[in-house]
Order: sequence, then C-alpha cells, then structure tokens
Amino acid sequence: MSFVLHMLGEALDRIASGDAELLATLGRTLWLAAASAFVAALVGIPLGARAGLRAHGPVGGFRAVAANIGLGLPPVVLGIILGLLLLPGAPLGGLRWLTTMNGIWLAQVLLAAPLVAALTAAAVAQGPANLVLQARALGASPRDRLLLLLGEIRPALLAAVLAAALLGIGEVGAVIIIGGNVAGHTNTLASTVVLDLAASDTAGATAHALLLLGLVGILTWMHGRARRAAGAAA
Amino acid sequence: MDAAALLTLTGLRVDRGGETVLDGLDLELRRGEVAVLLGPSGAGKSTLVLAAAGLIEVAGGAVEARGRVAAALQGAALARRSVRANVEAALGWWGVPRPERPGRATRALERCRAAHLADRAAGTLSGGEATRVHLARAVALDPDVLLLDEPFTALDPAVRGELLAEAGDLIRDARRATLVVLHDRTEAWAIADRLLVLLGGRIAADGAPAAILGAPPSEEVAAFLGFTGRLELAGGEILRLRPGQVTTVAPGEGDLDGTIEALIPEPDSAIARVATERGRLEVRVAVPGPSTGELVGLRLLGGARFEARA
Repeated sequence: MSFVLHMLGEALDRIASGDAELLATLGRTLWLAAASAFVAALVGIPLGARAGLRAHGPVGGFRAVAANIGLGLPPVVLGIILGLLLLPGAPLGGLRWLTTMNGIWLAQVLLAAPLVAALTAAAVAQGPANLVLQARALGASPRDRLLLLLGEIRPALLAAVLAAALLGIGEVGAVIIIGGNVAGHTNTLASTVVLDLAASDTAGATAHALLLLGLVGILTWMHGRARRAAGAAA
Repeated sequence: MDAAALLTLTGLRVDRGGETVLDGLDLELRRGEVAVLLGPSGAGKSTLVLAAAGLIEVAGGAVEARGRVAAALQGAALARRSVRANVEAALGWWGVPRPERPGRATRALERCRAAHLADRAAGTLSGGEATRVHLARAVALDPDVLLLDEPFTALDPAVRGELLAEAGDLIRDARRATLVVLHDRTEAWAIADRLLVLLGGRIAADGAPAAILGAPPSEEVAAFLGFTGRLELAGGEILRLRPGQVTTVAPGEGDLDGTIEALIPEPDSAIARVATERGRLEVRVAVPGPSTGELVGLRLLGGARFEARA
C-alpha cells in the first residue's frame, strides 16, 4: 500500500512540477483529439445527416449506410491497413506520414468519422420530422431544411464530436502502429503509459494515466451534458 | 382553370399505407374565399392539405396552383428558438428580404394576439400560445393560397372564441384563397364562406354553409352535419332531423309519439334519444324534465328529406 501511495505522490509531484515532457505529451494528445474530432465532424456530420434523412424514406438507408461506413472497424486493423498504405512506395507513401503525428491524426479521423456519422444519422433519423415537413410547407428549400434540422439536433451533434474526441484521447492501437510511439515525437498520454511501463517507470505511467483520466473525466462530463441536452430536446 | 381559381385539384387520388384515402377528388379554391373543409376523423382532410401543398406524392390526378401555396400543418411544430425568430425564419424560407422580416413578423404576431410572446423561447409556450404563433407564422407569409389544418386546436375556449370572432379578418384576404380544415362544425359556421364536406375520399358537399345545412345533398352528409334523427316516412322517404328541429309536446298532441330511451346531459339541458314507430330521433329537453322510459309527443319542425335506398 505504501508503494502505491509513494508512486501516486511521485506522479502528482511530476504533474505539479510542470514536467516539460509531460506537458508536451499532453499538448500532442489535446492536438490529436481536437484536430481529429474537428475533421471527423466535417466529414461525419454531412455523411450522417444524409444517411439519417434517407432513414425517413421507405428503405432502411441508415442501417445500410452505417454498415458501409465501417462503424466498428477495430483500430488495430485500421492501423495495419493504413500503415501498409503509408509505407514508401504504397499509394499514400508519398505523404511520408508514417511515424508522424499527421499519420496518427489520419488514423484517428478514419476511426472517429464513422462514429460521428453514425451518431449524427441516428439523431437526424429521430429528429423532428414534423418540424421539417412544416418548414417545407412554408417554402423551406432542402438546404434550409437541413440547416434547420442540424440546428435542432445540435446538442446531439456536440455529443457526437465529444465522443470522437474521447476516442482520440484514449486510442493506443493505431497510435503505436502508425506513429511508432516515439518518445517526444509521436507518443500520446495513452501510448506513453505503455512506454513508461515498458521502461518500469511506474510513477511516470501513473502521472500520464492521471492526466489522461482528468481529460477523459472533463470530456465525459461535457459529453454527458450534451447528451442530456439532446435528450431534453428530443 | 377558372379565372379566379388559385388552386385546382382534378381527379386527385392519394394512397397512404396501401389504402386509397382520396379517390377522384375535384376541388377549386377561388381568390378571396375562405373555404372550410369538414369531415369525420380519418376522412383524409390532412392528406388533402398535404397533397394540395405538394408535400406528398399523388397516385393520380393533378394539383395546379396559380401563385404560391403555404400550409400550416396540424400541430404547432416550432423550432427551438424565440417566437420572433421562428416567424422570421419562415419569412426567410419564403424569400422575404431580411430588412422586411422584423416588421412583417411583428404585424402577424399582433394580428394573432401573440405579440407579447415575441421574445419567448418557443419551447416554453403553452399549447394554445404555440398554436397562435403557428398561425401567425403562416399568415405572415401572405401566400396566394393558404392552407390551415385545424388551426384552432389546443386553444383554450376563451382564446378560441376571440380568435374565431376575428378569424374572418385574420385569414380572409381579397387576393388570397384560403382552405381551413376543421374538426368542430360550430367553428366552421363562424368563418366559412364556403363549406366542403369530405366523405369517402371525395367532396360530398360544396356550397354556402346555410345552403348545405338547409338542404344537405345526401343522407350521409346530413348525418355528418348533425341530423341525428332518422324517420322512415310513407312513400319510401327518409326524414333526417337535427335535435333543434324537434320539440316535445304532450303525448298525442304532436306529429308522432315516442319513448325516451336515453338522456345525454348537457350544461343547461339534455339530449333525449327517442324511439318511435318510424325510427329514432334526438330532441333537446329541459332539465329537470322527462325521464327515461317516458312517453312523449314530438313535433317536427323541418328536416331534410331523402329517397330511401333500395
């Protein structure tokens, strides 16, 4: 027990001292989560909105599209496929993104976009169909109606983007495969825990894990608020 | 198309859920008139509005509009924003230039007695308030053809009475054709220039309210309009009567006698259901008054006659 308390104390000391490496890793993790969630939203929301609107039609468009966009693709499998595509000479090799943060970012976008699309599609499909029909009856164009609908379900959209950010913060598999988990370059909070444990630096692993836990806690709280707001709006 | 006709439905057929709801319906709405569409639940009144507004596919026939059509559908669906923003958004969809929107929104809200709600969030409105905003949003557009599907539902009786009293001015416009779907017949008398009765997927009656009430074109229309009494007369005729077209007198002193089968209480009177040797009819009686099982005389004061079907 004293070992655990000692380790926790040392981890908290490192956090409190503003350890430069720790802060740099935190910065990379935040950048990765924000950048991947942002682009996943740019890609996933329009795709999801389109799929959700189809679900109002006679065929189950939402199910078909959700299946096609690869929701649930294991990160490790995506990492291997993307890693092969990024190898020199492979179709994406020219980008030179293997073992870079850009490569990890691309992997995260590919993982998060289907999640955002699926959550958006579900929100659109369950959205206020009568309001959209009423808007059409008052002259709203398809674009007007889409904007109206997205405005009505914005808490659900925020929840989807936060879920994408959460995915980015906690992801390890694709980070290690694509980024190589290079200390000081492509490691994130989650992947650094693996590095620290491999180096028997339990205090470092605990410090990174505590920061990760804090970030996840903040985002989970925001996610929960957004979901409750979405539920209240439904 | 008639010169004054702004909306013409010709041979309209609409299928929904595998059932034919409207079947060969013909209707023409003319400039300046307020037509009220009545019909029993499930007759297809809302379907007619959706088809006329181009919101659903029709299986047959044609919808021809001269000018722009706006519809306030059943149920006040408002966006999660302020009342004023809801009305201004609709004006934006309609293509009204941005500088004109605030003034038009304010005037429409004032006409619908909803100006005091302008800054309220739509989600905080009561059902009646939301209904007024819903109506204002449609009126603000000033369309050539205005379709209103049960615009007075969810209003409390006092507000409904006020709005009905002003409804003529509110929705009537010499440049516009207006179709109002109503469920309550009494509301129809308050605002209709022209009454339409939808039965069996077609317009079964079309004319001035007083003319239709005075001489319903068919026994089905009469029954729907409240001619609840049905007597079989000599010569194969059927006489349909409203409760107001019958009075009670002493047995043997009226046109026929009958026995009260049931009494249905009303606020200041009761409706007595009376069985006679020629059929059943309803008559309004005082409370306290005759009781169930009592023999009463009945004097008939009009009614509508129809040929009995073979």
